[in-house]
Amino acid sequence: MLNSLPILTLLLLLPLVGALLLLPFWRHEAVCRWIALATALAESAVAWWIFARASELPTTRLPGYFLLEEQPWLPSLGISYQLAMDGISLLLVLLTTLITLAAIVVSWRQIQRRQPLHLFFILTMASAITGVFLAQDLILFYLFWEVMLLPMLFLIGLWGHGRHRYSAIKFFLITLAGSLLMLLAIIGIHLVHLQSSGVATFSLPLLIGTPIPRSLALWLFAGFFIAFAIKVPLFPLHTWLPDAHTDAPTAGSVILAGLLLKTGAYGLIRIAYPLFPQAAQSLAPLVYLLALVGIIYGSWIAFAQEDMKRLIAYSSIGHMGFVALGIAAWTPVSISGSVIQMANHGVTTGALFVLVGMLDERGHSRRIADYGGVWQRAPILSALFLLFAMSSVGLPGLNSFVGEFLVLVGSFRAMPLAVVIAGIGLVLPLIYMTRLVKEILFCTGTQTNILPDANPREMLLLSLLVMANLYVGLHPRPFLDLIHLPMALLTTTGVQP
Amino acid sequence: MTYIDLWLALPLGILCAGILLLLLLGPLFPGRYGTTIAMVTLALALLWTLQTPPALLAPTLHLAATPLGRLFSSIFLLLAMAPLLLGHDHNGRHRIVGEEYPATILFATFGALVLASATNLLLLFLGLEALTFAFYILTALDRHNPLSAEAGLKYLLPGAVAAAFLSFGMALLYAGSGTLALSPTLSPIGPFAPILLAGWGMVILGISFKLSLAPLHLWTPDVYEGGPAPAIAFLATASKGGAFLALLMLLMATNALPALRPVLWGLSLFSMVAGTLGAVAQENIRRLLAYSAVVQMGYLLIPLLTGSRSGYIASTFYLFLYLAMVLAPFAIITTLATERPLVTLSDLRGLGFRRPLLAAVLALSLLALAGIPPTAGFMGKLILFRTALAQGEMTLAMVGIIASIVSAWYYMRVVVSLYLQDSEGETIPPTATFAEGVVFGTAALLILGLGLYPAPLLQLLQEIFTS
Repeated sequence: MLNSLPILTLLLLLPLVGALLLLPFWRHEAVCRWIALATALAESAVAWWIFARASELPTTRLPGYFLLEEQPWLPSLGISYQLAMDGISLLLVLLTTLITLAAIVVSWRQIQRRQPLHLFFILTMASAITGVFLAQDLILFYLFWEVMLLPMLFLIGLWGHGRHRYSAIKFFLITLAGSLLMLLAIIGIHLVHLQSSGVATFSLPLLIGTPIPRSLALWLFAGFFIAFAIKVPLFPLHTWLPDAHTDAPTAGSVILAGLLLKTGAYGLIRIAYPLFPQAAQSLAPLVYLLALVGIIYGSWIAFAQEDMKRLIAYSSIGHMGFVALGIAAWTPVSISGSVIQMANHGVTTGALFVLVGMLDERGHSRRIADYGGVWQRAPILSALFLLFAMSSVGLPGLNSFVGEFLVLVGSFRAMPLAVVIAGIGLVLPLIYMTRLVKEILFCTGTQTNILPDANPREMLLLSLLVMANLYVGLHPRPFLDLIHLPMALLTTTGVQP
Repeated sequence: MTYIDLWLALPLGILCAGILLLLLLGPLFPGRYGTTIAMVTLALALLWTLQTPPALLAPTLHLAATPLGRLFSSIFLLLAMAPLLLGHDHNGRHRIVGEEYPATILFATFGALVLASATNLLLLFLGLEALTFAFYILTALDRHNPLSAEAGLKYLLPGAVAAAFLSFGMALLYAGSGTLALSPTLSPIGPFAPILLAGWGMVILGISFKLSLAPLHLWTPDVYEGGPAPAIAFLATASKGGAFLALLMLLMATNALPALRPVLWGLSLFSMVAGTLGAVAQENIRRLLAYSAVVQMGYLLIPLLTGSRSGYIASTFYLFLYLAMVLAPFAIITTLATERPLVTLSDLRGLGFRRPLLAAVLALSLLALAGIPPTAGFMGKLILFRTALAQGEMTLAMVGIIASIVSAWYYMRVVVSLYLQDSEGETIPPTATFAEGVVFGTAALLILGLGLYPAPLLQLLQEIFTS
């Protein structure tokens, strides 16, 4: 029954329809808020419903995928509207719905100017990101990949702080440059496939396994890799991230950290590595190196930050380094760890940005030095802050531990040295997070503003994030089962170690 | 003169009748029926063009209704409606009076139609020059604006030189090959035919000027900046379309492409580089669009110089999308050009929230020019670069992609002005009239529609180029 409904199209278009529904109510902010919230809830409901039914669904003609929808789009070039969902996609779509919900709730009172437009961009963003996680046709993927940039440009540019215009443009141009290189690579692999098989197609399942001359494969892989590495971000390509995260409004930071970074890692796992296994294998040392540099460097710089958001932004570079490490090792366990870590980092860092946003709303500052002794004045908020900080550090029982542990275990056999160095990287977050928690929550500071504790709306949002955190932390089994089959397929049909 | 001659020449006849009627009625009813008569004339000519059976040849007039020519004729006729719709209100504001505005537009269309149905070099030349000549007049038509006169002169003088080159080149081609006919037998270049090569060089020089290919692009920014906005909307679309069609017809009628390829290759490369360098620092949106036109013409040349059928399809497809993408911004510039013709980036500040529709269409068309999905510009670029890579034009494709990355910067500057910066002055931006709305609304729908569903247009072009 699930297969007869175009449920993936529904998942894709629901936020967009919600966004368009805002237009007639442009002048009524309260109505817009409720429409946006209802849309996000409906989207979550659909996603969780699929999650509940996922194990009963028969597999489609693509192995590992339990939902598939396709329509010809531009048949003469072999471009089709092809959406498919497997466990990895589902996990990330679940994350998308959760983060979208968080972004909408967190801007409930915070955004004063042009709130309907703000919600419009959040919803279109959700649509585009869902599309990225579902698209199987590379042109369709590219379309969503680019469309996703525009709402973020406006979110940062219109509602950001500080040098928001500069940050917005920097983010847009750097990611666009990567994307256009990827477009060349997409056309390249399409033409190679056309020459070798005579079939014009952009469909990923058909393109995987295309024999490519080695030197060309390296170039094409580089095209994809740079585009994805910019989003992850890997070390020398990360410069947009601290600016964009710091200057974005809370909802923007939450979506950036929670979702946008994941699209890069997802692209590596889903597209770049399966398409070019040999090239990926020969570049593996480089990826290890970049991942490790990211882990150490991100944490190192995070330690010196005075701005809370900037600190968390740099910590993201470190955490995403673990994701990259798992991808570099490319064993079933390590990529499972990477995927779980992607979801976990989304929840944890998303929650930390939400909390910083809440503090900022109360204290009107994001400087660490401006806070102190928050625990006494707002104990619930502080307790949750502590919880997510511990989760970010990788305390067992909370979600990040699961992902980082799996990455380290999975990578150990492939590259023990890298794991040893990454182990050092595991300790560094402890240092800067302890400092953050100590200075904000416990030290007595100069801050005299009244800090009201979390209100019911904020409690609801945070408890949702806590539940997601604890669920994955204590009982990761359902999620690991979900991605088990796609992982096995990826590593057996993909890279031969 | 036979029946078939008449049949094929009837759209031209209708246009002629319309022009005469306009000029005769003008003094009797000044400023009243000009636009209406011109619109009706165009509509009638369009109807007749659409129903003309293809692949006929007028024996004595040497006009042909090829599928390609009919398609281009229809598009020229549709494009000519834009300046009429845009001009009605604008000309009143700028005190451009008299029936010469609609009459000249019809005359330009006449030239374009002759070009589209030409079967020999002579008609091709006459059509192209009639089209360009009308634009010399249209550019200088705003007599109260000194910039307009300057633009007209800057267009006319080099234009006359380019026309001389074009005609001399054609004369050399005739001398070398002994025929004027635009058929595949034209100019069979042997191992050594310097006279033909010289002829082709001059022809390409003349057409490069009209296409604003660097280094013959220097007139473009001044003309785009100075001319009346509706006339420039027409110039930026129809004149580029006409010059492109002329080049396409010439290239399809020759086997000299291998000899011409290095020249076209260099023109394409140089246009992308020079246009990009010119555009990055522009504060004036008209000059920005002029330099962007240079870059876009550089893109357009990439698939064309591969000389393959798929290349012709790709560049014609991109041209059609480009026409929609460049019509929309000029329609909006027409609306915004109240007392002075300049629209600088600072004039556009904050427009996004004061005139949401105007700003949205302007932003959409600029994003389309930058090639960002889901707009038509993306589909065009995808097909263009795919063809270029498939035909082995690696270098030009790489330069094109780099030019696209840089182009995102200068197009986004406009979008940033529209949405992310607040206006400084207290001036209230004008609102669009209904007629202006029709023009940019249609263009915006085409930009989105062809971006999401380009299959029918591509199919049509494939059928046309297969026959």
